[in-house]
Order: sequence, then C-alpha cells, then structure tokens
Amino acid sequence: MPLWFARGLRRGVVTTRYPARPDPSAAELPTPPAFRPDALTRELADRLCRVCPSWALTRNGDVLIFDVGACTACGRCREAAPAAVTASGEFELAATDPAHLVKRIPLLGEGAR
Amino acid sequence: MTAVRPGLAGEAPGLHGLLSELGRDAAAGDGPVVTVSVAGPDLEAAVRRLAAFPGARLADVFASGGNPAIRGDHVVLRLVWGLDSDQRYLVTDSVIEGERYPQLSDIAPAAFHEECEIYEQFGIRPEGGKPLNRVALPPQSGPGPALPRLGRAPAEPPAEVHAPHVVGGHAFEFPFGPVRQVGVESLYYGLVTSGEEIVDLYLFTWHKHRGVEWRMRGRTPREALFHVERTEGLGAVGAGWAFAAAAEAALGVDPPGQAMRARAVALELERLYNHAAATAALCQSTGLAVGQAAAEIALERLLRLNAAAFGHRYLFGVVDIGGVRRGPDATALRRELPGAYGELRHAADALLATNSFVDRLEATGILTQEAARRLGIVGPVARATGLATDVRADHPAEPYAGCPLAVAGAQSGDVLARFQVMLAEAAESVRLIGEFLQAGAGPGLTESPEGIAGRAGRSGLGWAESSRGEALAWVALDGSGRITRARLRPASVRNWRGFDDACRSQNVFTDIPIIEASFWLTVAGTSR
Repeated sequence: MPLWFARGLRRGVVTTRYPARPDPSAAELPTPPAFRPDALTRELADRLCRVCPSWALTRNGDVLIFDVGACTACGRCREAAPAAVTASGEFELAATDPAHLVKRIPLLGEGAR
Repeated sequence: MTAVRPGLAGEAPGLHGLLSELGRDAAAGDGPVVTVSVAGPDLEAAVRRLAAFPGARLADVFASGGNPAIRGDHVVLRLVWGLDSDQRYLVTDSVIEGERYPQLSDIAPAAFHEECEIYEQFGIRPEGGKPLNRVALPPQSGPGPALPRLGRAPAEPPAEVHAPHVVGGHAFEFPFGPVRQVGVESLYYGLVTSGEEIVDLYLFTWHKHRGVEWRMRGRTPREALFHVERTEGLGAVGAGWAFAAAAEAALGVDPPGQAMRARAVALELERLYNHAAATAALCQSTGLAVGQAAAEIALERLLRLNAAAFGHRYLFGVVDIGGVRRGPDATALRRELPGAYGELRHAADALLATNSFVDRLEATGILTQEAARRLGIVGPVARATGLATDVRADHPAEPYAGCPLAVAGAQSGDVLARFQVMLAEAAESVRLIGEFLQAGAGPGLTESPEGIAGRAGRSGLGWAESSRGEALAWVALDGSGRITRARLRPASVRNWRGFDDACRSQNVFTDIPIIEASFWLTVAGTSR
C-alpha cells in the first residue's frame, strides 16, 4: 500500500476542471451537424436523409427535421454536402424533454419552394 | 515463454492432398481462402476428415438461404476452417435438403453454439435428439409479429436451459442478471452453487439481441459498415476490418498499402485501449481502487489519443470499404503514445509488485489448453493456455505479412497468464504502430465510394485479429452489390463458451468478476 500512496502523491490531480472549464480534448470529439438553411433544397434534404444511417433526418414538406438524440455524429451528411453541413461543435446535448432534441430546419435554398 | 500451434501433431500432409480427399468440385486456388462444395450426405465424413487434419480448427459455422418467401430455397450450411499451418481458410458449402444435417458438435464440439443459433434462425437441426439451447432470439412474449429471423422458424421452440433449483439437496441455482451494475451489459448468469463454490454456470446472452445480421440485408457494404462497427463498440476496428475485407474479396477490390497500414495502426490502438480497460477492470474486481484509478488514467489518455489520431475515441468511422476514411495523425501519435503507454506500463508494473493483487489472479479461472482447443477459443484467452493462435501471424494480410510478429504466450491458463499476455501484446502493439507509421500510413481508397457501390459482387471471407482474438466476417452480394447474407463472428462469440469452463475450475463467487475482466468479452458481440 505505501507504494500506491507514494504513486498517488507523485502523480497529483489528473482530472480536468470540466464543466467549470472546457475540456481541451473536446476539440477532438465528433459532434452532430449544423445545417445552413439557405443552402438546403428539397433534393439535397432528401439526399441527406438517405445517407443518414441512424434515421436522424427526415423531411416534412419544406422542413428538414433533425433528431439530435438519434444522431451518432458519424459525419456522413457533412461528407455528402460540405457546403450545407458543418460540425456544430456542440457535445453537451442533455435535455429535460426528448422533444427539445428535435430541430426543425427550414429549407431556404434556391428552388426549395 | 513457449507456445504450441493448435493441433499441430506432425508433418502436415498438405492442403492439396486434403482437397483431393474431399474430392467433388474443389475450387482450390492460390488465394488465402479455398471454397469446396460438399454434398449434404457427405458432410459428416468431410467434417471427420477435417477435424483430424493437423493444424485445422473449426472457426465458424453458419447458414444462408432458406428464405421462407421463396419456394424450394434450401438452406446452405457453411463451415469455416482455419488451416493455420497452411495460412489459409477453407470454406465448405453444403446444401441441406430437409430439416436435418449431421451432428457436427459430436465431431467438433466448438460447433454446438452455432448448431443452436442455426436452429433458431433457419429451423434446421442436427440429427439426433440433443436439446438445443436458446442462444440468439429472445422468447416471444404474447401475440404480435414474430421477431425477424434470417430463415424459417424452427418447428419447436429451443430449450431453456435452467438447472434444477435444488440438486441433491446441496446445490442450488443462484440467478444473477440480466440487469447488473451500472454500465455492465445485460447478461444472465445461472450460477449453480452449494453456497460458495461454483458447481456449474451457464449464460443467457439473448437479452441484448439486436438482429444486426438481419438489418444488414439489402444494404450496400458501405451502408452496412455502420452497423458492423456498432455490433461490438469496443471492437469497431477489428469487426470493421474483417467485414471490409470480406466485402473487398467479394467485390474484387484491393485497398492501397498506406490505407492498410492506417487500418493496422487503428487496430493496434484498439488493442491497447482494450487491454488498458481490462487492467482497470481487473483492479476493480480485486478491490484495488488506487490501481483502478491508475489504469483508468492510462485508458483515458489512450482514448484521447484515439480522438487526436483518428477523430473518434472508440475509432468509429476509420475503416471503409476499399481503404480507410481517414489516416492517422502521425505527429500526435509520436508525441502522445509513449507517455500514454508508459502510464499503463507503470501501473502494470506496480500491480505485479502488489502481492494482494497477484494472489487473487494466480490459479484463478484456469482454462486448460485442451479445453481451449476443443471449444475453439481464440485471442489472448487461447494464447494464455499455450496455443499460439493469432491471425496476424497465421493468416497475415497486409501490412502484417511483411512485419514479423512476436506472438505473446503463457502456459498456465489462469487470470494472471491472461493479464501477462495482454501486457506483452500492448508492448508489441506500440512497436508495430511505430513501424507502420515509419512505413507510411495515410488515408486512401482504392476507388471512389460511388465506383465501389456500383460494382456487382459475389461472396467473400474476411478476418482480423481484434483485441479479443480472431474476428471473422462472410458476405454474399447480389448483382447490384447489395448484401444478401452477412455473417459476423466477433471473437466474443467464441470465447464466452470457455468462460463457464474457467469459472468451474475450483472457483468461488467472488472470482467471477475477476475471470470476466480477464476474458474482457462483450455481450453485444455474441448477441448481435
């Protein structure tokens, strides 16, 4: 046991200050996408829905419905349309109601309507 | 430490001699996979011959076909044999007419789990009246649509193996699970005990069944890869590589060398963090909280290194069909890996110098070499019994083919031996990562994803040495390149069948978490 006690003292505190301070490693984490409404058309929205492997995206008329709770941040949508989709950088996704995790993105791109 | 190859008991007569004995329309080529068609009536004789072939081991058994919507669609039974001394796999195809096939597990005991699974999924069973256990699909509760299965439903539901609650007035069943501690997967232990010592133990793993193989049908290999990586989250690279290799064999695609080295870097990183996690779990199960914290510091550093090198802590999204999606950040790896591995090594050295820790590991959960060979055990669990089975050496694919590998081994088959094998493998992984980075590991696909998606395909077998051992995948594609049948066989499928043997060997209740940590398996992998 003295061995382990000495090791602990030598090693010091290794936990980060999160959530008081952002964890530096968060920059490396894959995060859900952010969509640019003015770059989204119906055709593009349908293509994004098809590439999403976890069915986090659906289209209802001129609205793209994004269920963040179903998203695995795999990056396939961003890969398919880099001009319209970027990484949100958000990884703190807790919500008190599942409905709060569903985002409605209007399709405002040229020819969307 | 020395190790012997499984079943190698003399000069191998050679693959061509074996194939000519099997006869029929043997389609032997020069490749690493040989496929032979064996008529249903000849299957038993062929299995007897193969089981006696030096260096051969039954690596997997699965079925395809048998679509109830297609009249006369017979089930095809496939056996995958690892011919390790020839560095090849042999796949036998047998069309099963009717609902019975020869009793394979009487000849090759490793086949029993698969006989049970095939009965549940395809409705065919071996000759004889041996009861078949429920291993895959959860029991149907109440009316409603049946759970989707790969073929026809069995005539009778499978047996539910429960020991009598009282045996001879002394032993009784102690049910444990399927809900266990926070963060531990669903698993039911049927513990038969006289109070302290484990008399018998059996497992129910079907609570976590997700029908992954069923979900993959009709998808392109690239779409299916998403499911494959999530079959067993702690083995995304191993399972992904095996599946990608199967799809590439079916499509006739050859990934570029730098992409193969990138895969290998990811695979060795996966091995490192899994062995660190197993070390932390061993400390937790032995009540050594400070050691657990030390191992978890190493684990966290390795996971952050994964994120820095490949963009994902658990290395999802690295492997792609025809190559890799992204290459490693070599600078981050060279800067951080020595420190992260050093953290693990220092923790391990301190643990091995702690008598109270080593005493709990020594002579606990012994799995004998004979049992490991009989049950087809793979990976560090097999190597700890003295079986030098490692597909990186036995069936080397690029980049392992040109890179000599020191296969770690031990003899005693106990928890301590498994721990020592993991530590030796971690050191070897660090060395291999350095060599692969030196040779050049980067992103690359053999052709565009659209080009690959448009190809027609046939069938193919793929493999990789995951952190738990040999991961296999077999895939069949239709003319448009979509999956008609995919078989995933992570190492966990094999090694859980040795867990009960290890638990029975003179152990008590409190040894079970220690043995489970040393096997370091996932329920998700076996109940995919």
